[in-house]
Amino acid sequence: MNAMDLATLTSLLDVRDVRKVFVDNEFETQVLKGITFSLARGEMVAMLGPSGSGKSTLLSILGTLMKPTSGSFQMLGKELTTLNEKELSQFRNQQIGFIFQYHHLLPDFTALENVLFPHAGRVGRETREGRERAAMLLDRVGLKDRMNYRATRLSGGQKQRVAIARALMNQPALVLADEPTGNLDRENADQAFELMQEIQRETGTTFLLSTHDRELAERCERRIYIRNGVVVEGESTPVVATKPAALAEAVAATAAGTPWRVIGGANAMVDRTGSTDTNEDRRRA
Amino acid sequence: MRFDLKVALRYLLSNRLQSALLIGGVAIAVTVFTFNAALINGLAEFQIQRVVGNSSHVTIEPEKALPAVAAAADGAERLVASQRTLERRPQIKQWRTVESIIDTIPGVTGVSLNILGTGLVSRGQQTLPVTLKGVEPSRLSAIAPIDDAIVEGEARLGINDVLIGKKLATDLGIRVGQPIFIASDQGRERTLTVRALYSTGVDSLDSRLAFVNLDTARVMFDLPEGLTEIEIKLADIYAARAVARQLADTTGLEATAWMDKNQRLREALEGQGSSGSIIKMFTLITILVGVASALLLTTFRRRPEIGIMRSFGISENFVLSVFMLQGALIGIIGSVIGCLMGFGFCLALASLTGGKLPVDPALGQYDSALLLAAAASIIAALWPARAASRIDPVEAISQ
Repeated sequence: MNAMDLATLTSLLDVRDVRKVFVDNEFETQVLKGITFSLARGEMVAMLGPSGSGKSTLLSILGTLMKPTSGSFQMLGKELTTLNEKELSQFRNQQIGFIFQYHHLLPDFTALENVLFPHAGRVGRETREGRERAAMLLDRVGLKDRMNYRATRLSGGQKQRVAIARALMNQPALVLADEPTGNLDRENADQAFELMQEIQRETGTTFLLSTHDRELAERCERRIYIRNGVVVEGESTPVVATKPAALAEAVAATAAGTPWRVIGGANAMVDRTGSTDTNEDRRRA
Repeated sequence: MRFDLKVALRYLLSNRLQSALLIGGVAIAVTVFTFNAALINGLAEFQIQRVVGNSSHVTIEPEKALPAVAAAADGAERLVASQRTLERRPQIKQWRTVESIIDTIPGVTGVSLNILGTGLVSRGQQTLPVTLKGVEPSRLSAIAPIDDAIVEGEARLGINDVLIGKKLATDLGIRVGQPIFIASDQGRERTLTVRALYSTGVDSLDSRLAFVNLDTARVMFDLPEGLTEIEIKLADIYAARAVARQLADTTGLEATAWMDKNQRLREALEGQGSSGSIIKMFTLITILVGVASALLLTTFRRRPEIGIMRSFGISENFVLSVFMLQGALIGIIGSVIGCLMGFGFCLALASLTGGKLPVDPALGQYDSALLLAAAASIIAALWPARAASRIDPVEAISQ
């Protein structure tokens, strides 16, 4: 397996020259002016930039909620700009999770139902397996005892933890988080971030966080800076670990359809800051 | 339970006041619908029973001789002429056979063998035109309950007797037991004794109809064998057309159902029915507008939620289904309650008015009300549901 093959196998998202122009009456506003970057499987990347720089638009495009005006982006080897609405909806349901600044839980439903919603809405009913997974996720985010509470009865921090669990319900390959801690106090923000970090390490899910919080961004593995619709600094491509055994394990597990259960391999692949072995590997490379 | 149904139910339950008002609105509209149907249909039934209940449901008459088309020479136009014989009125000669055929038809409750003709009655200087109806004495009340309508004298019809209406008696200044001079349109004259006076409440009968014995009529109208008509009464008045068709086919005679003889009644009922339909249509429009506007408001209020659902890949069809189901639930629950309210209201009104108001709770068209109200609610939900399913998630989330 050469370096090129490894890069292909570990690549999750490949964005090439993505542009977005909004037309309002006769006025055109170019929000994204040619964004190019990649995400590897299992990494946690922070996206920084001033308000109005195009972060939210880019997240909407990456989340397949909005189509780019031009450019291409591939996820899991699939060109997403060519898919129709129905295909995008299905892809989004199965491969992408969203976490918003204002949690956006459905107020008429319990914590468990909120987490279950992406799954039950897809299969058309609440399955026993779905409920078990939703309960497991709520347990994981520390809300086992709040499972049957209406969303309106939860605190801000609890709501955001439910939103994190909901984003993970369908075992997505990518979680897009738009200012996930922006509406929380420092303590809750730290807790939410640590939770996402732990889950990312445990499951190998890729996280792309849009944030203004430099302290949190520093704790991510990589940062991308966007200004005026272009990537201005930071590492726009991931540093691919070259530990063959760990990669093989991660790739095999991902191919088997259980990326969230990959622990050791995925960590070895993406946890470049925390593992001496991988740092040595990187230095050798 | 289907998840879209669960979501629809949860949405309805989350805003109980709005849902209750909506369901209440549909229920009231359906109550109006069913009450209107019970009143219009009850009134129609009342009128039919009043008019038709005491008259013939199927009348058999001699076949009208149609002129044959004469063969014409080439190039000549065809000429058709029709003239009814003046020598003897058309008659049913084979009436015994016809009667035996009638006996085989189920649901026949009465048969009257009649000779009908016109004549003049005179008393002193007073002379008035009348319709003379010759009937068998034993079948005097086979069609109309003349026995029950007798107000003076006794319903006995010997060959020298005549029964006349109270109004005619007043016009002629005659009383029971007095003789009356009658001349038929065939020029036969007889003096008969007024045996009884009747009052049906129908002016045309009470002032213009006189009953005589069938044998007396045979002499007066010069019909030694035949009849001019056979009247039939049925248990089910709405079977009249089918019975008439059957009799016409089997006897070759002209058989007419009551609804085809009572043009005015039919027109009146049709007019009544049309006004009822307009009221029903407005109740359905009320449901349509009410449900559509309320669900549109709900759609607007829930835009961010719908945007969130769409963001995690919930399909447009699922969102569409959630709102359509809300419409269907409102429609079905509202119309069931409305039907129950309508039935109860009609029942209460019928008993309170002691039958004076012709409301028939059984004729409330509850099945149509259920079906149409539910359909109207579903149709009303279509627009908001489509609007909801097409919400742009990015716009909705940022709202």
